[in-house]
Amino acid sequence: MVNIQSLKEEARKCLQEGKVKYIIGYEKGADGWKANPAFIKKPEDVEKLIWDPTCFHNLARFLVDEKRRKAKEKQPDTRPVGVVVKGCDSRAVVILLQEKFIERNDVYILGLSCEKAGVVDERKLARKLDGKKPVKIELGEKDNFLVFTDDGKAEIPVREILAERCLECKANFPVISDVLFGEKTKREVLNPFQSIEKMESLAQEDKWNFWKQTLAKCIRCYACRSVCPMCYCDECVSDTINFAVTADTTAEEKAQKIKWLEKSPVLSENIFYNLVRAIHLAGRCIDCGECERACPVNIPLRLLNKKMEKEALKLFGYEAGFDPSQPSLISCFKDEDPQDFIR
Amino acid sequence: MEDTFEPRIVAFLCKWCSSAGSDLAGVSRMEYPSNVTPIQVMCSGSVSPLYIFSALNRGADGVLVSGCHPGDCHYIKGNYYARRRLALAKKLLEHIGLEPERFQMSWVSAAEGQKYTQIIKELVRELKPLGPQTKLRRKV
Repeated sequence: MVNIQSLKEEARKCLQEGKVKYIIGYEKGADGWKANPAFIKKPEDVEKLIWDPTCFHNLARFLVDEKRRKAKEKQPDTRPVGVVVKGCDSRAVVILLQEKFIERNDVYILGLSCEKAGVVDERKLARKLDGKKPVKIELGEKDNFLVFTDDGKAEIPVREILAERCLECKANFPVISDVLFGEKTKREVLNPFQSIEKMESLAQEDKWNFWKQTLAKCIRCYACRSVCPMCYCDECVSDTINFAVTADTTAEEKAQKIKWLEKSPVLSENIFYNLVRAIHLAGRCIDCGECERACPVNIPLRLLNKKMEKEALKLFGYEAGFDPSQPSLISCFKDEDPQDFIR
Repeated sequence: MEDTFEPRIVAFLCKWCSSAGSDLAGVSRMEYPSNVTPIQVMCSGSVSPLYIFSALNRGADGVLVSGCHPGDCHYIKGNYYARRRLALAKKLLEHIGLEPERFQMSWVSAAEGQKYTQIIKELVRELKPLGPQTKLRRKV
């Protein structure tokens, strides 16, 4: 079990010694049961830190924001940022390191092992509780979650309300960390590509009908992009925010501006946007499942990213997020890469 | 409908091999269907998957990316990168339910005018029965 006290101690020590600028962790959210990201700047605030099965957020995302903020400061504080990571989040940090977006000494990684479980899926839980509001969720002794509601306690087996991504998790412990809390125990995962296998067995037309229905729902809120630690392009294909059209913009400049896709949330453009996101995340997505969780219209976005992950493994033997010294998937090649689809 | 339908194909041809190959087909007066709109790019490695999605989005019925044979790239390894990147793009397009014939790749060298005409003929033959590509076409 992860001892939350030792995490607090370590956090306090780091802040007191001034080893880190601040610590990104989890605190109790305003709604009373879910965790919220917390930014701990003072040693006395470390008591706020929590660790429970509602710590869904991938805190590696805030390292991207931190880098942006630092770039704007005149005299930046060069101390590292402490960040609390789960297994999946640690792989996100590995990708950021691999792509040299951040340096290793920009972060101080406090790794938490998920051990037997992972995080719960809010939607599955809500279904299970029939609309009752949970008060607190704990990891029980024997493969179950203890869910406390206003009228008592329920014991729910881990498998029933665990998030999909956790059911298919390849490493439920941090692969990179400065301090590790909890044990590096691997939970048995029978088939990491379980969710897309059903999808793959469908005929081409059925696949299309499925995506047509799901992607038509997309409202283009870009929550998936905002929550993704890998979506850090300064300018996204889908909105050319950096090239604002002002009174000084000449007609020539406007004409040269490439507009890949329209902003209107219609099916064709939604597909374009989601295809672009999937291909940009190929070999980089570490399956933290945050896009799917953040999606307000429940689009199963993991099915796109998971497919790319599977193909990367099958075609090129590439697994994302385990080795920061490895080149990224599409910036390297092998002579024996498959080419049977090429005439 | 099917016998009158003429697919529109966008072909991204690398400057050093495939484009020269299509030129050879032209100057040798070989006959091939006029359905293809060639776009010369400097290297097949410079073809972003975005180009393919965009072409389909703007109404192409099929997309062909053609480059030098492995080992022959003018920039030494551009086509190896293309092979890896576009393999993923192809899998992705198939995953969302697009017909696999709609996006194809080929290696055509500057001397293979014959092969180029052959590929275009085959492509047109494969695309005709599929009809117009409406799945990814822009509807705004």
